[in-house]
Amino acid sequence: MVNVEEIRDFAAGLLERGEVKSVLGFRHGSASAFAEPCTLTEADDAASLVWDPTCLNNLALYLVKDRKQQAASKTPDTRPVGIVAKGCDSRAVGVLLQENYFKREDVVVIGISCEGTGVVDPKKLSNKLKGRTASRVTFDGADGISVSVYGDETETVIPAREVLADRCLECRAAAPALNNVVFGDSVEARDYNEPFHAAKEAENVSEDERWATWEHHFDRCLRCFACRAVCPMCYCPECVVDSTTFVVTLGTSAKEKANRIRWCERSANTSESAVYHLTRAIHLAGRCIDCGECERVCPVNIPLRLLNTKLEKEAFEMFEYQAGHDIEQASLLSSFRDEDPNSFIR
Amino acid sequence: MEKILSQEKLREWVDTLDDCEVHAPAFADSVWNYARIEAGADIDLSHTNTIGSIKTFVFPQREVFFRFEKKDGVPLLTSTLPDPIPTVVFGVRPCDGRGMPRNDTVFNKEFEDPYYWARRDKLTLIGLACNQPHSPNCFCQSVGGSPHSEEGLDILMTDLGDRFHVKGITAKGVEIMERGRDAFDAVSDSDQADAGKIHETSRSYPQRPLGDLDAIPEALRENFDSPLWADMAQHCIGCGICTFLCPTCHCFDINDEVTSPTSGEGERVRTWDNCQFPDFTMHTSGHNPRGDLGSRLRQRVNHKFLYFVENHNTQQCTGCGRCITECPVGIDIVAVLERVSQ
Repeated sequence: MVNVEEIRDFAAGLLERGEVKSVLGFRHGSASAFAEPCTLTEADDAASLVWDPTCLNNLALYLVKDRKQQAASKTPDTRPVGIVAKGCDSRAVGVLLQENYFKREDVVVIGISCEGTGVVDPKKLSNKLKGRTASRVTFDGADGISVSVYGDETETVIPAREVLADRCLECRAAAPALNNVVFGDSVEARDYNEPFHAAKEAENVSEDERWATWEHHFDRCLRCFACRAVCPMCYCPECVVDSTTFVVTLGTSAKEKANRIRWCERSANTSESAVYHLTRAIHLAGRCIDCGECERVCPVNIPLRLLNTKLEKEAFEMFEYQAGHDIEQASLLSSFRDEDPNSFIR
Repeated sequence: MEKILSQEKLREWVDTLDDCEVHAPAFADSVWNYARIEAGADIDLSHTNTIGSIKTFVFPQREVFFRFEKKDGVPLLTSTLPDPIPTVVFGVRPCDGRGMPRNDTVFNKEFEDPYYWARRDKLTLIGLACNQPHSPNCFCQSVGGSPHSEEGLDILMTDLGDRFHVKGITAKGVEIMERGRDAFDAVSDSDQADAGKIHETSRSYPQRPLGDLDAIPEALRENFDSPLWADMAQHCIGCGICTFLCPTCHCFDINDEVTSPTSGEGERVRTWDNCQFPDFTMHTSGHNPRGDLGSRLRQRVNHKFLYFVENHNTQQCTGCGRCITECPVGIDIVAVLERVSQ
């Protein structure tokens, strides 16, 4: 079992010795039974750190945010940042390193093994509770997630595999390979589901049915852009679906601004939302590490992870490529091998 | 008008509204949301609160203002003013109901928005009182509402277990009740007492406190330049969840969507916009007066608890708690106001 005290001590030590400017971690939230992200800057604050299956967020997003703040600052604080990272989160850090977004020495990865369990999927929980709110979610250490429902004093134990996130059921590496330290045992995955299980299931239906399903989902999209905003790989200063030019300098002419092509209109309708989601999926091919954040944050529960794992599966099956697994490896889209399929490359 | 409606007769009543578009909460894709129902048999009022608010019925995410095209070199505009059939919405929670008069103010005070009102005039809202809060983030009473508030509703239903107490509030509501008159029973003294008791109990559940509402505007004024905002928005991802789900957020963008560049055909469209997006306040120069997430969080909170109070003498928040519950990173408007008020 992960001993949260050890994580707190380690984080406090880093801050005390001034080895990092901050530590990204999880604390109890005021808003729900799920943990929320926190940024610690004082060793004393480390006592607020928590670790349990409600620590859903991929905090690598905040490494990107820090980098952007540094770029915008006249007096940037370039000291390293500590980050609490699950296996999947550490691979996000890995991709950012592969893409030279920052350097290895800029980040101290406080790895935590999910020990073959993983995190709870709030959507699955909501489905179990028919929309009611969980007021407490705990893991019994074996195979059950205990849930108390708000407004109802009873506690129910739900089999873990029924409420764990799909990515956790399919996890191939629960312990962070990229780390400065790892807490928790490197337990074998529990074999809940084989890798890419959900994507394979989705492929098993006819093309017409698949299109009908996605049309239904794209129709429901609110275009709140939470999926893009939460993704650590969506770090572009301006996005192809934005209607304005964000990178405006003194040298940007009026013509350039006026002539910006709107590839995607703001209207939340099937065609525009399809363009948005498919563009995002393609831009994440070979980069997505399956942290499932896009799907988690979606307020209307569009199963976005399926789009990304489908492409992750393609990358794996065609090029034996797994994003973020090896930071020395060139990224998928910037490299080729002689044995790659298709002949155009030769 | 007050009546009693048995659980079974609810469907019968819904079926009398067959010339209306009837919407009710439905649990689909693991979430409650409004959906159009075709028959009374489809109605299910066991919902918590819907993910989307009722603002969609009057302020849809996409509203076409007019169509344009070029005919023989002359621009031609075609009106697209909506003319919807009467729409009845069941299961509206009182917090959402209270959102509606606030939206009415926005779309009426200085300019009567014909698109909004074309839909609003045809809309009947049937509320369902909350017998107990659905979420620890409910705070309707802290912003002057109540779990059985009638404000903004045409009818208020209260679930008495085996039957509903149904109260017609507006003439529009009474008319909808009249249409199903055969489904209703007269209300007895004990029914009244039961409803009263349920209402009283519903108010007794603890809700998240906001303290003195009247003191908040001053606290916000004082803290305009406070470093607290940057701190509280430290983990904000700048998405549109809080505002898009909000029953009172009403900011929009207007764009021309050209469908055929050769004939110049297209539509002028109003879509939801959001103060948390970076382009919301961006100037053509590239300057952005709300350039960071802290100032954008402040904008959202100030709009609801300061500017709206200054302009319309009430908060633009009805305590539904969606922005708190659905925030992917735990940003919590009640906690924000607490910190600013300290």
